[in-house]
Amino acid sequence: MANIKPAEAAAPSLITSFFGRPLPLYFSAALLRVLLLLYGLWQDANTPVKYTDIDYLVFTDAARFVSHGQSPYARETYRYTPVLAWLLLPTAQTTGNPVWDVAWFSFGKVLFAAADLVAGWLLVRLLTGKKRPMDAATARKFAAIWLLNPMVATISTRGSSEGLLGALVTALLWAVLARRVTLAGLLLGFGVHFKIYPFIYAPAIVWWMDSDRMAVGHGSSGSTRKGSSHQAQLSRLDSITAFITPARLRLALVSLTTFLGLNIFMFKLYGTPFLTHTYLHHITRIDHRHNFSPYNTQLYLTSAFPDLSALRIESVAFLPQLLLSCLLIPLVMAKKDLPTAMLAQTFAFVTFNKVCTSQYFLWYMIFLPLYLPGSSFLRSPTKLGIPALALWVVSQGLWLQQGYELEFLGRSTFLPGLWLASLGFFLVNCWILGIIIGDCNGTKEKEL
Amino acid sequence: MRERITFIQKLGDSLEPSSLKINGGVISGPEVKAVREDRVTLALEELPTELQSLLKGVHELHIRWISPEPYESVSPLLARLPPGFHLFFTPGKGDHTASNKLCSTLSEIFGHVNCSTPAESFTSLPSDRFSHSTAFQYYQPLETLSGFVQYAKHQLCSGSDSSCTARADTLAKASSLDISYDTISHALKVTTLWPYQRQPIHATSRPWSRTEVGVLSADKPATLDAHELGISGLLTVLGQDSKPSVTMFTFASRHRDAESAFSTKILEPVGLHPTLQIQLESNKPPATDAYCSPHAYFTLPKGIFADKYQLGDDLFLASKNLTALRYISQPVDLEAPEYVMKGWGSAVLLQLTPPKSDKAQPWTAEIPLHLRYLEPNRGGYETIEVPYPAVFWACTAEEGTKFPNNPFERVNLGYDGLFGPRTVFWHVEPRPLGGGQLQNAIRVPVLDLDKSAWVNIGTAVAVLVGFAWVAWRLAAVYLSSGYGNEAAAPVTEAGKEKKRQ
Repeated sequence: MANIKPAEAAAPSLITSFFGRPLPLYFSAALLRVLLLLYGLWQDANTPVKYTDIDYLVFTDAARFVSHGQSPYARETYRYTPVLAWLLLPTAQTTGNPVWDVAWFSFGKVLFAAADLVAGWLLVRLLTGKKRPMDAATARKFAAIWLLNPMVATISTRGSSEGLLGALVTALLWAVLARRVTLAGLLLGFGVHFKIYPFIYAPAIVWWMDSDRMAVGHGSSGSTRKGSSHQAQLSRLDSITAFITPARLRLALVSLTTFLGLNIFMFKLYGTPFLTHTYLHHITRIDHRHNFSPYNTQLYLTSAFPDLSALRIESVAFLPQLLLSCLLIPLVMAKKDLPTAMLAQTFAFVTFNKVCTSQYFLWYMIFLPLYLPGSSFLRSPTKLGIPALALWVVSQGLWLQQGYELEFLGRSTFLPGLWLASLGFFLVNCWILGIIIGDCNGTKEKEL
Repeated sequence: MRERITFIQKLGDSLEPSSLKINGGVISGPEVKAVREDRVTLALEELPTELQSLLKGVHELHIRWISPEPYESVSPLLARLPPGFHLFFTPGKGDHTASNKLCSTLSEIFGHVNCSTPAESFTSLPSDRFSHSTAFQYYQPLETLSGFVQYAKHQLCSGSDSSCTARADTLAKASSLDISYDTISHALKVTTLWPYQRQPIHATSRPWSRTEVGVLSADKPATLDAHELGISGLLTVLGQDSKPSVTMFTFASRHRDAESAFSTKILEPVGLHPTLQIQLESNKPPATDAYCSPHAYFTLPKGIFADKYQLGDDLFLASKNLTALRYISQPVDLEAPEYVMKGWGSAVLLQLTPPKSDKAQPWTAEIPLHLRYLEPNRGGYETIEVPYPAVFWACTAEEGTKFPNNPFERVNLGYDGLFGPRTVFWHVEPRPLGGGQLQNAIRVPVLDLDKSAWVNIGTAVAVLVGFAWVAWRLAAVYLSSGYGNEAAAPVTEAGKEKKRQ
């Protein structure tokens, strides 16, 4: 992969020495977050417009309810697992000293920012994994896409829990690639309990975990047997029994037990409100308020006039979404390049979802450092990389402009402006997803 | 049936007893500038049967309608509410038929009353603090009493009684209408108020009722306490007195005149998060010997709401000249669109922060509000009206003050139950700048149905095109290298060779 090392060839520069050692990267990533956090505290204390995300107030209110022995669901719009409120219990501390109180209150943001760093560190580990022909300095350069990304750092220090998810998902990927099946099952089960959407990774991981790969001394066995021709010779029954491997069984068992165990435990503790707010809410919600989803305008219409009988695309929206993210992408891509497959799955899931906000972009951004090395976008930056990024930004900008006119100026931009902008953004995303998928076609010969 | 008709003039205006002509059951006099209040008290048996059966299942019911037209009033008839149709209700024990029939009966009487049942449409009032609060509250904008005028003419007047229908017609010009019933008094009181204006003194008694007419004016006798109001004038019982008797009385009043005015407007640009600005004439507290603070009481229809979490931050509140959110009816869904909301909306009590200067000066307070999504329509915009709040200074009264001695006492206004029993409300008069009604219109952007023909097919095509492209890319990968990584290498190399050629 000589094409990803141009920086090495250049004379030792500031950039080279910055990435040459781990400390500068992690230190600056931490410093960025500390500065943002302190700035946020200043803004919150001195201006009526708050830096802290509304969601963080929801989390901490819920934590306060828990600290008083109440249910976190006593807080309206708390739509998360109780684990999140428990994690943030320190934020409910009151010492009587205002400085300490603010520090305790910021605990959750520190936790989320720390999760960012952990995720970044895991990215470097993944990039420098056994079979990856990448040196640590280059790996750190790519991990910086996440670690030094101002959007990521801002979202975490404003108190949004997406960073926690980034760490969880990278840890899951690491555990899978390291063949730590039990750990992977635990992380998968917990991840789905925490935020539902990581369930899409289950089919990819299961498909990836074939017996060849999971065999002892997996390094050599893969190259001696040709997977597809080998399987073609087996009868259907044999291929089913061959599919059910100990590793797959263990992953299924551990992840299901973790997921169900946590849910039963939470249900015992908090009863129906837990189920209603954490899971059922996502089924019954209307999603009528404007967001990036292509279905949004249609959903607003349908929620107001549910009786109109024509079959609408949004009533089967889950079909293209789940078909791509849970079946087709794992099937075609998982065995070739698991991280890229997971990126494509997440990208498809978010793009085809019935509701889509900018926080969801973080869900796939975590995989970019793993995918970008050797990708078409970086191999031809002027022809593909920069135009793709520009299209993504511009089509999103168009939507944001229409959204601004609606939200802040009160102009009725629902039709055609917002609608066309959301369809445009959707199609740009589909185009990018197609290129990511195409990159799986052997052009990135990675064996992890 | 008993009737009390009262004309109240301002301080200094009064009538000579000789200027009133009493002739049997008719009293007449010169034109005066006054407010007029008519109070009719009816026994349960005197009501139409459908009302009787409804009220039998009611413990307490207060209907208060306030005109959106700005009006001037005179002390002590000052208890203000936001314009519209207010209802305060406590059901009788164990009888749900009355509750369930309430909304349909009200619709028959007033026209478009949009509630379905108390359980669905009403909000609960806090019952723990003061016993005089009813259990439930309901509100909706209602601009005219025309529905009630029709009902009164056809259901309450007998067909031949032209004086009855003529009186019913005068309701159309009323500023407010109160209908109160409770099981203890077992009587229905209907009180109508006409604004402070020039009008002739004229009243006729009915053979089956006792009619008392008062022509009064505010008074300030030397012995008057600071917390009391004085009233003096002439009282006549029609058909009984041949000449009016002079009267004078003093009492403590819960509602008083702050002698200043306010106006509201929606700040530009409006957007989906409008800010309502209250512009007050003066920051001077109405009483110097008591602790006073200004408040605004809103009844917001379901299309617009205040976010209690946003109104919990002190810095944010201070930047808007607000002290605190004192009350908001629960629950307020922060996400749902208007067209799926079953409740009427929300009641909000905010304490305002006046500027601290000793010199009287005008000032403003801003209330951040949020719009719900409204139903799509043709044209892309829908107008909703935000009623003016009731604005008043709440001051603590002296210990031992007895308000019930006030013959014009008015309780169950929604906000009075949120304060201690010894609170005096000094009302600031709503006076829209540049005229207009006691409500602010907001143009809400909605989805334009005229442009929605392509949404269904367009969304479907876009999703299918996107899906097809992604699926085709997946198919291309599958066809060239299958699904396994092991088989991939040689095929891919071949594919790459092809591409390079």
